[in-house]
Amino acid sequence: MTWRVLHRWLGLVAGAVALVLGVTGVILALDPMVDTLKSAPVPAGLPVSTLVQRVSATIPGAEEIRRLPTGDIVVYAFDGNRASASYVDAADGRVLGEYQPSAPLRWIRNLHRSFLLDDAGRIAAAGIALAMLLMSLSGLVLLARRMGGWRRLAGRVRGSLLQRIHVTSGRLLVAVLLLSSITALYMSAATFGLVTVERDGDPDVMSNVNVHADLPGHELPLLQKLPVAELRKLSFPYRGDPEDSWKVVTEHGAGWIDRHTGQTLAWEDTLTAKRLHDWVMLLHTGEGTVVWALVLATLGASIPLFWVSGLMLWRQARRQTPRMTDNSALSQADILIFVASENGSTWGFAQALHRALVRNGHRAHTSGVERFQTAAATRQVLVLAATYGDGQAPAHAARALERIARQPAGSAPVTVLGFGDRQFPAFCAFAEALDQALRTRGWPQLLPLERIHQQSAQQFMRWSEALGQALGESLPLDYVPQVPPTTPLTLISRQDFAGELGQPATILRFTWPPQHWLDRLRGRGLPHFEAGDLVGVLAPGSSVPRYYSLASGYRDGFLEICVRRMPDGLCSTYLHALQAGDAIRAFIRPNPGFGLDGSRQPVVLIGAGTGVAPLAGFIRGNRRHQPMHLYFGARDPARDFYFGKEIQAWLGDRRLASLRTAFSRTPDGGGYVQDALRRDATRVRELIARGAIVRVCGSRAMAQGVVETLNDILRTVSLNVQQLKAGGRYAEDVF
Amino acid sequence: MSRALIAALLAATTLTVPALAHSRPLTISTTLKNYSGNGAYLAVYVTDAKGAYAGTLWVSGGKAKYYKHLSDWNRLSAGSARGLDAITGASVTAGRTLKVTADVADALVDAGYEIRVDAAVEDLRDSPSEIRVPLTTTNAGKPHAGRQYIQSFTYQLQ
Repeated sequence: MTWRVLHRWLGLVAGAVALVLGVTGVILALDPMVDTLKSAPVPAGLPVSTLVQRVSATIPGAEEIRRLPTGDIVVYAFDGNRASASYVDAADGRVLGEYQPSAPLRWIRNLHRSFLLDDAGRIAAAGIALAMLLMSLSGLVLLARRMGGWRRLAGRVRGSLLQRIHVTSGRLLVAVLLLSSITALYMSAATFGLVTVERDGDPDVMSNVNVHADLPGHELPLLQKLPVAELRKLSFPYRGDPEDSWKVVTEHGAGWIDRHTGQTLAWEDTLTAKRLHDWVMLLHTGEGTVVWALVLATLGASIPLFWVSGLMLWRQARRQTPRMTDNSALSQADILIFVASENGSTWGFAQALHRALVRNGHRAHTSGVERFQTAAATRQVLVLAATYGDGQAPAHAARALERIARQPAGSAPVTVLGFGDRQFPAFCAFAEALDQALRTRGWPQLLPLERIHQQSAQQFMRWSEALGQALGESLPLDYVPQVPPTTPLTLISRQDFAGELGQPATILRFTWPPQHWLDRLRGRGLPHFEAGDLVGVLAPGSSVPRYYSLASGYRDGFLEICVRRMPDGLCSTYLHALQAGDAIRAFIRPNPGFGLDGSRQPVVLIGAGTGVAPLAGFIRGNRRHQPMHLYFGARDPARDFYFGKEIQAWLGDRRLASLRTAFSRTPDGGGYVQDALRRDATRVRELIARGAIVRVCGSRAMAQGVVETLNDILRTVSLNVQQLKAGGRYAEDVF
Repeated sequence: MSRALIAALLAATTLTVPALAHSRPLTISTTLKNYSGNGAYLAVYVTDAKGAYAGTLWVSGGKAKYYKHLSDWNRLSAGSARGLDAITGASVTAGRTLKVTADVADALVDAGYEIRVDAAVEDLRDSPSEIRVPLTTTNAGKPHAGRQYIQSFTYQLQ
């Protein structure tokens, strides 16, 4: 919880100010980069002494030579009464033009580092840098949580377009953002003298005044050995001061040279702290580089993107926060409902339960499980808990377990209801952890832990009936599933198959209405989807959506599903009656964990019947020719070889590496898909041992059969499906 | 920063010379050129006939880490004038005028002493001893031009 709150508030407050730093940072990174690209190249190995000779010839009053980080050579001179600064070509000493640091750029730099407010502004800018550091760190923690662990950081990002923009760009730039904010803080510390970077003063040296004639600069031994590429600054001795000396600064140190004898009077190596400071400057400004400056400019430009997308995400989340009516105070309620919800759907169940209890005359109190506690008036406690990612608590409930462990057990029974998805190995793991913690503390229970799969309204009704019986009252629920906003999809074509007896199947292809990118950004209309995600379809007159696996991705430009007509199936019958041009109401539900994560590993796809649909979608989207091997079980090639023609085409253009089929109802058809796997045992074992990813789609019985077969096959290499699932390499989509 | 003169004066310092208690106020006025750059660091100080450091009248610019760029003053004074808040003010923006008053001992006037000004601007060339003016009654009121950042430098003796 704390990380999210930190991230949100720092983002809202400091992020607005960081916009200034981002925009000015782009300009500050790009301007010297242009100079770097334009700067006249210094001939390799050219010694400083030769440069001095050339410069003395063209600029008689030269007093100082500087090599800027961009590589440009600038000579400061004082001739007669006029001070000048000129760009010089190191190759011949030619004056290239006047050097005049740009006033607008100086203004922008002062805006960037101090908001034009001097020391107060510098402190503020350092505060913003610190805020950016914390935002990057908290963003990284949230990212890891969202992706289901640190090892999955590189996985494919799911969610709305806005979420993907925020998360993907954050993942790309978090390292640079961290580096920029740390280097900014170091530079602030150096400015305020908190770290010592340079020696206090110059050594007390003077030229030998017994010799009178000046030695020309090109005869000084130190300068003859020094290449221009290492030079930072060379100061000539003052004309009127016989004691004055040459001073040369390189990246390695500083030296003082007698103007008469040419002897090196003193040499001071650069302090380690100064070297570090130089590196910090380089990393922060990118001056003198092209690629790094571009990276920094990209980072600067991305800050408005982060801020705007973050702000919009925050507003969306706020709109989705549930409101409870007739919510009694915790101390006065006889029934407490505590909720752990990731995307808000669990609150919908809690609301229905709350309403039913209030109708029965109870005083109910509903709040987040992170506020878990009981009072004297409490008679019953109900905990409705969803699980996030691979078994974690939803973000807001992260501290709930600790809170429960700290409290002594009360006398009121606590009943836990878990919500989750059987797809995940850790199905309802957080609800189980809560239940476990409560029992360990010694809380009594009214009903044992129940687990609800994919927000099943039927399962929830059954549980509430049991609850009503236990409470000794009738508890009719008016639960209406919270259906996300739907998009009208128009059927453009259908491909019919005879299918199993009495259960014909059809592949339906839909399009969606043209969408403005602004609407997509705001999460309206059809979101981005991938093959393997689900489309929820609402049959007319029904509020319970049916879900179908997607056989295409958003990028394919159409939405395709394979539907078998079930006996008495309201939705499948409705879909089967559609003709080209008809429209349905539908929405997308992501199916994280089942989609492919974008790796280059080989993929073993195992499907039976209409379960081949999402697998066909994976192959269709395989434009990078990741090695994909399809094991397809059907009954009869004449009746239910779904996507048969496409599969042949995909074999032809290498989107599909190999195909093995098994037809259970034809003589010599090869039996079931498990039999096909067993016949190919050596190859399957090798593929999986080498790191292949496995995706299985079909009926529950078929999936169980595949698990047993694969466990047999993998026994000799000491692997099993459970391990593969734990490693995120094995996922099922079963119906 | 105000548009008007930088009237960061009032900081009265006394260059004390043993055995002579009499002193008189010295008003220094330094106008900067309209160079393109950030505010200038300035050190106004006095040296004797041999060029030895005698004392500091005023320093503009608060960050001691940059004092090494006022290199003559930094070397000659050997850091002895650091941290003297009473004679330290903000850096001076291009085109503006710094006006400060200090007390100098009578014995320093017309005795071969010299007023010097070191100047330095971020990213631009350091300009040590940009101004070197003998501290005499005849020189008082006469403007002197610097070579780098200082448009004119004048002092008044009362």
